[in-house]
Amino acid sequence: MKILPASWTQRYRPRRLDEIAGNKDAIAALKDWLASWVATPPKRRAALLYGPAGTGKTVSAEAASRDLGFELVEMNASDKRTTASIERIVGIAAEQRSLTGRKRVILLDEVDGIDPVSDRGAVETIASAIERTNWPLVLTANDPWDPKLAPLRTLCLMIQFKRLGLRDSIPYLRKICTAENLEVEERALRFVAERNSGDMRSMINDLQTLSAGRSKLTYDDVLWLGWRDRKESIFQVLGSIFNAKTCAWARKAADLVDIDPEMLFEWIYENAPAQFSDPKDREIAFEALAKADLYLTRMRKTQNWSLLSYALDFMTAGVAMARERTKPSWVKMSFPERIKLKGKMKRESGLKVEIGRKISLRCHISKAGAIQYFIPYLKQIFKNNRGEAERISRWLDLDEGMVKYLSGRRSEQVRDVAPSGVEFTEP
Amino acid sequence: MWAEKYRPQVLDEIRDQVEIVERLKKFVKTKSMPHCLFAGPPGTGKTTASLCLARELFGERYMDAYMELNASDARGIDVIRTTVKDFARISTISQVPFKILVLDEADNMTADAQHALRRTMERYTETCRFILSCNYSGRVIEPIQSRCALFRFARLKDEDIQSHLAEIGVKEGVKFDAEGLKAIVTISEGDMRRAINTFQAAASTGKKVDEKAVFHVVGRAEPRDVAEMLLLCLGNKFTEARSKLRKMLIEYGISGQDILKQLHTEVFQIDLPEKRRIQIAEVLGEVDYRLAQGADEEVQLSALLAQIASKSAGEE
Repeated sequence: MKILPASWTQRYRPRRLDEIAGNKDAIAALKDWLASWVATPPKRRAALLYGPAGTGKTVSAEAASRDLGFELVEMNASDKRTTASIERIVGIAAEQRSLTGRKRVILLDEVDGIDPVSDRGAVETIASAIERTNWPLVLTANDPWDPKLAPLRTLCLMIQFKRLGLRDSIPYLRKICTAENLEVEERALRFVAERNSGDMRSMINDLQTLSAGRSKLTYDDVLWLGWRDRKESIFQVLGSIFNAKTCAWARKAADLVDIDPEMLFEWIYENAPAQFSDPKDREIAFEALAKADLYLTRMRKTQNWSLLSYALDFMTAGVAMARERTKPSWVKMSFPERIKLKGKMKRESGLKVEIGRKISLRCHISKAGAIQYFIPYLKQIFKNNRGEAERISRWLDLDEGMVKYLSGRRSEQVRDVAPSGVEFTEP
Repeated sequence: MWAEKYRPQVLDEIRDQVEIVERLKKFVKTKSMPHCLFAGPPGTGKTTASLCLARELFGERYMDAYMELNASDARGIDVIRTTVKDFARISTISQVPFKILVLDEADNMTADAQHALRRTMERYTETCRFILSCNYSGRVIEPIQSRCALFRFARLKDEDIQSHLAEIGVKEGVKFDAEGLKAIVTISEGDMRRAINTFQAAASTGKKVDEKAVFHVVGRAEPRDVAEMLLLCLGNKFTEARSKLRKMLIEYGISGQDILKQLHTEVFQIDLPEKRRIQIAEVLGEVDYRLAQGADEEVQLSALLAQIASKSAGEE
């Protein structure tokens, strides 16, 4: 039995040029140029395939060499760039014949990943390889106009790869779905394609992530991906954490949103009660949250940031695994109210301490004691009796803000910072 | 504030604490005193006793030779040490050869700070007498206890509080009835300050201070929300229970530990199967420990609520 690669981008990687979606002109240009090598080496000894990520640059080079019966020697410029490996390119390029006797193509992937500081001279070395090569050199780059690539641009045949249009990408995604026995709504597919703005690799990745454990994908199922916008997608991410079937999925969902872990915790904590109506499920979910909180506390206390990982385990997977009796359903999600309240509390506790200090000056008591033994009663008095309140304020020398606090009249400032009724619902 | 206005000015005015007053009067007579440790619950007259003692020893200008310092307000033992040094260095021209320094809430100091304090006490013992006041003498380290004369302040007797309140009421021209005062006395549990503050708050409405008025005031100043929160969560209204918790923690500023304490009391009072009580007590202990580690109060307490709710739901 043949073992298929786990990742769909590998499993459905085109092997031949005619399987590649889109960029027909670029592919044809590449093929013609490579074919011209069969007779005599053309004037341009290298081709630079450039364009955004996921548009098929590398895969075209691979498929073209396979179609034309070339042997592919691939070097990823961005991760194995030592002087030795670059020297090796020059060496291989200068060789007269390959070991197998077949013609070869040398692929230098991601040349724009070259670091001009730590890889000083790399570009020049590549340029000299191009001048001396006996084999076709294919280079790829996202941004060919990078100044450091200037010496290469004049030596290469420039072939542009463009973002994939919906006309090209949707049929390709459709093919994958069919192969995976996945039933997908047209709208859903379109959403995935549009969302990734012409990047086929990430479209396929999204499709695989979304369909994990499903045989059917609807528009609502993919909607949670949202656009690459923080505010909109937090709800979707929460939804997929709360409804995750596996730990890995819950954990991964947390990575999909650009939010710091402590804020993510607040979101999950705020919305957990509504998600788990069954008391037993809720107990487990909350214990997981309490554990996550413990790890966050220890992490802050000891400055041992590696503990974050455990906190994330509990707040995502721990909460997701609590679901046993509560059926998943879409519940309205709300903003972590506590964040706003905490901000207000901070301001008020500062005020309280100030009032406490005033009382301590008059009543032979500590600030803490004054806050505990006097302020609750003062609040009553200030609410009930203005005259008395005025006398006491004068005696204690309270300022306006303090009086406002004690009499329960909220200052405008407090209201501004804590807008009530701000509630987000999922789109 | 009435609590300050009607604070006794001389030792004889102090209610109850008869033996303490007698001993303090001897100090005044002999113009000498040892270091003292005043132990007792809040509102039983510890600060008042030191003030009266100072006033009788030093006369009207007692403030020159008397100083109060709060262990909780003074940041660290170093601040205390410097303050004591500066205070003790300058001698007075009074007939009494020493000054009095009151260190409030001494039991809130760490053992290390107390040891440092002990050395300071020894160094300035010629010029300065310390009165340490605390709620629990057990929390004061032995070396300090052994250097101090211990005075135990008991909770005030109900009738003493009630008569004091009645006097205040008459002087302030407040309408009140006996039931109202009795209610205050019961609630105050021997704490005079609390009694007077409650009385003043109840009187501030301008209406007669009767039982109803008192409970109205107390209900708001000391929210009985813990019991309500517990009922909500037993009734599977978890979200509401958590909102209540949030309100207590954030709006009323009640500490998580205090809520735990109250929950602990409630758990043994409300209607629950006996076995559940002890199960919940175990969880309470765990949460208490976590809070001591600095964990988030609301998160830990709501996990506790979820557990109580689930345990009681499983029982049905």
